[in-house]
Amino acid sequence: MDREKSEAAIQVTNMQTEYRSSRSNYWLVLGVLLTLFSPEVLALEANEYRQFLGIDSRRLVWFLAQMHLFFGAFVLGVPLFAVIVEIVGWRNRDPKLDKLAYEFTSLLSVAYATTAALGGLLAFALFTLYPTFMGYMAGLFKDIMFLYALLFFAETFFLYLYYYGWNWLQGGLEFSRNLQWLFKGLGVAIILAGAVFLFGGFGLEMRGDTRSFIALLYILPLGVGLLILRDLKSSHIFIGILLNIAGTAIMQLANSWAGFMMSPAGVDEEGELIGTLWQVFENILATPVAIHRMLGNLAFGGLVAGAYAAVKFIGARTPAERAHYDWMGYIANFVAICGLIPLPFAGYYLGREVYSTSAVMGNNMMGGDFSWTFIIQAMLVGSLFLISNYYLWSGMTRIPGSERYYKYIKFILGALIISFAIWLTPHNLPLTSQEVGDMGGSQYHPTLKFMGLMPAKNAVVNLIILSTFFSFLLYRRGNKSDVVPISQQGRLPKVVISLAGLVAVAIVGQYAMGMLNLDPAELDLPADRAHYFRTVGYLLIFECVMAVLAVILALKDRGKLAQGLYMTVTALSVVLFLGVYGFVVMEKASPFLRNIAVSQFLQLISCIILVTAIDLYLFRGAKELGKLQWGKMTVRSQYALLLLTFVITMNMGLMGFIRSGLRGDWHIFGVMRDTSPWSYTPSNYTMTEMVSLAVLVFMVGVAFMFWLGGIAAQNKAPPSVPGTEPGQLTDEAGSQPASRTGD
Amino acid sequence: MRSSAILRVFVFMLVVLAAYLWVGQAITAMTGGERKAASVVEVTPEGGEAIFWGKGRCFTCHSLGGEGSAVRCPNLGQFGEKFPLAIGARAEQRAKERSDETGTHYSSTDYLVESLARPDAYLVEGYKNEMAIVYAPPISLNLTEIKAVIAYLQSQGGDLDLEGIENPGELAQTYYARIAAASAAGGGDPGNGEEMFVDTCSDCHTIQGEGGEVGPDLSSIGNKGLKFISESILRPARKITKGYETWVVVTESDERKHVGLKTEETSTEVEITKATGEVATIARDDIREIEQDEGASVMPDDLTEMLTVKDFQDVLAYLMMQKGEDGAEAETGK
Repeated sequence: MDREKSEAAIQVTNMQTEYRSSRSNYWLVLGVLLTLFSPEVLALEANEYRQFLGIDSRRLVWFLAQMHLFFGAFVLGVPLFAVIVEIVGWRNRDPKLDKLAYEFTSLLSVAYATTAALGGLLAFALFTLYPTFMGYMAGLFKDIMFLYALLFFAETFFLYLYYYGWNWLQGGLEFSRNLQWLFKGLGVAIILAGAVFLFGGFGLEMRGDTRSFIALLYILPLGVGLLILRDLKSSHIFIGILLNIAGTAIMQLANSWAGFMMSPAGVDEEGELIGTLWQVFENILATPVAIHRMLGNLAFGGLVAGAYAAVKFIGARTPAERAHYDWMGYIANFVAICGLIPLPFAGYYLGREVYSTSAVMGNNMMGGDFSWTFIIQAMLVGSLFLISNYYLWSGMTRIPGSERYYKYIKFILGALIISFAIWLTPHNLPLTSQEVGDMGGSQYHPTLKFMGLMPAKNAVVNLIILSTFFSFLLYRRGNKSDVVPISQQGRLPKVVISLAGLVAVAIVGQYAMGMLNLDPAELDLPADRAHYFRTVGYLLIFECVMAVLAVILALKDRGKLAQGLYMTVTALSVVLFLGVYGFVVMEKASPFLRNIAVSQFLQLISCIILVTAIDLYLFRGAKELGKLQWGKMTVRSQYALLLLTFVITMNMGLMGFIRSGLRGDWHIFGVMRDTSPWSYTPSNYTMTEMVSLAVLVFMVGVAFMFWLGGIAAQNKAPPSVPGTEPGQLTDEAGSQPASRTGD
Repeated sequence: MRSSAILRVFVFMLVVLAAYLWVGQAITAMTGGERKAASVVEVTPEGGEAIFWGKGRCFTCHSLGGEGSAVRCPNLGQFGEKFPLAIGARAEQRAKERSDETGTHYSSTDYLVESLARPDAYLVEGYKNEMAIVYAPPISLNLTEIKAVIAYLQSQGGDLDLEGIENPGELAQTYYARIAAASAAGGGDPGNGEEMFVDTCSDCHTIQGEGGEVGPDLSSIGNKGLKFISESILRPARKITKGYETWVVVTESDERKHVGLKTEETSTEVEITKATGEVATIARDDIREIEQDEGASVMPDDLTEMLTVKDFQDVLAYLMMQKGEDGAEAETGK
């Protein structure tokens, strides 16, 4: 990039070239090919910008990218849980779950084509309106773009085979013994290779996160898919796994482009390739964004499917319909919560990597142009957790016996509201002189000023997650009379709980050791500040001891006590102690504050892992107090489900704005400046306008597609699921068979 | 499916989106609209203020008294017990502190210039060195903009010295040269570049008498310009300094191939210094073949795989500062 020219064109901007996680169609393939055959244009050359019908090119690309991402997230998220539901149904010989998986998949067929068409439109918009930038990107990523196009064909093939082959591959026709052994052998070999790869046996030159991503999302599922191959149905599941692998790979490839724009690697300051293509591909932010997007897509896909169920529930004419769509909404919401709970942690990791890419970018994110955007984001994320909890509590009304737990709800609600309020408290607000006078002449409120600081926010975000997790535990045990002794359940629970304990101790313990051995000089702190690290180190050691104690108690049939003890200790440590201690650290050893946040996160995630493992077996096969009454839900709860979908969609748009805007006035951060007339950071109002428009069009489009899908479904027979009664569910889905009652 | 249900859901969605728009509108009304940051060409406190709260992004880490909300780095205004003086007055105190510490005279301008050009030189207790290199991407302030920021900071409770900022003493001039060199090199950090150089290059190259002698002395390399230095690192074989050509010698007795610089040559022997520093003295009688390899350089050609983009820029910035005695004087305007 010619720096003098850059200096002359100093404008702060961002360009919303959102096109990660994208899928494309033949139009995109054509577009890529056209670009590949055009001469390579490097960042050295002056940028060229064009317009279409006089429209602001950035807004046009922004809108198209956002639409493509919404549909892309949906068609990537839905197959993930459709295959999981199908596997659970297959393992438990439950045709109802199989039917549900099919129903989810049927939502995909039209959405997939639309995603592809939007991908093509986006690609053409980028190539025609930003020719210099796209010429450079296509020159650099040409090999990856070809791979992307090939993977797109693979995904299309697997998706249609998965959907249209559903009935064809329903049969139980078994493969020959030899063939089964061959698949098993291959599966075991691939899983072993994946495990060796995961733990660094080879591929050490890769970043740890990329290696884990590839091992856990490509190699291991492929191995497991082969391992279970024994008949036609398992072949269908294997196709579903391949579909997800192809979809995830497409997302990862496209993420590398967007990651490169934020954290370029393998090129010099003039944009010339000086490294390898792998370095370019595996730039710092590529995998953290992919991880965050993966979880986000899972939650998003679940909630859009949940919205479909909610609309169907609201318009249902019979109790049977209501029961079915209530159940479908529950499953979709359950999947969404599974994605939502780890999402803040993935976001934290992404944020940390943004800081490691550039402190300027990181500071701009949290304390600069986007600090208020993050306040809006906090409102949306807080709403997500609050509404999810409300939906769970509403769901408890259909569980006989859950009345025993109603008394806890008001406390959870109180904790959530207080936490939410603290999370939203800004540190500083522009005030009038009158307001400053009312506050005693200070810019800050004497008490509330503390609520606006990071220690308080770190504490309450952990409390929100812990409270949601607690609501979920209450829901799970709603109609169970009492626990089943773990000692009577054979060897598996003992192994699983012990392993979970080991994982918890390993996660917290390794960080404790790090804290105990941390040299203050590493954080530019004087030696006498070491005791702040030691205090946290000893606290984490104590948490490890509690984890071991919880495992022992659980194995001694004191599972409830184990859960209560471990959760209480974690809450006290994470929320109360470290919440308050964070203020001390901020005053005396400010750079250490980030380590406090990490230690809070590690304790919380360890707690969730171990308590879930114990809970899995604590109520397994327990006596029930009554049958779950699907359909006995208020209409209000369905609006809550819809609201969740709207909120997560708006939040995705908002986060896209932040991520893209963080580049400031660079197309490619530090390499290629944006010198276009649209080179500035738009206001939050502009962001809400653009995102609202995209959400509106997306929702209307999705509704239209679901309607079309409904017509198609009426014209052809659904998969054969004899004996199916809508609204029945198995334990694996978190509940029990139930009668259809309606409300 | 009842159409009334669809309608109700649609209206519900519109209400939610309207609320979202309202929040966006309310926040924008409070905090301002789109953010454009213009270049500043005048060294004045007003110009510096625009940079501080705009392009320079100083406000993302520093508050100024009650203005701003950042706590990551020291508050630059008068704020609580920890900061009883605003930065203008504080700089005068710190200048004395720095003078005592280093034995070199510091003016408040020197202190402020040092804080911006080499933030690790002095750290406020309780804070980490995490200040961005403001003359490097993505901030990329030029020297004029940096001077404007210094004027703004001086105006916060201190004595504004515009003349001192434009024509400072030797210390600040050295830092100005550093910033100019770094800007020319794409905004790398010369401090980190020096560390990278010592770790990666100094086994073979010398700067100001420090380092190995396998490769050329780089004490004046800055005079050759950015393009030359950049090319020399990325494609070392393209431009080889005279006397540093690569020679290949194959011996008769053991058929070994020696590749390196021809550092000594007599009528009976040839001395080849390899990239590792190993020296091979080969008798002329034992040479089967000796030739210059014009397409190769002793310098490793895989440096690009060892350096990140930032490391590369940092090393460039450091090398751009190496202008020998004459060059350095010209740079500082002496």
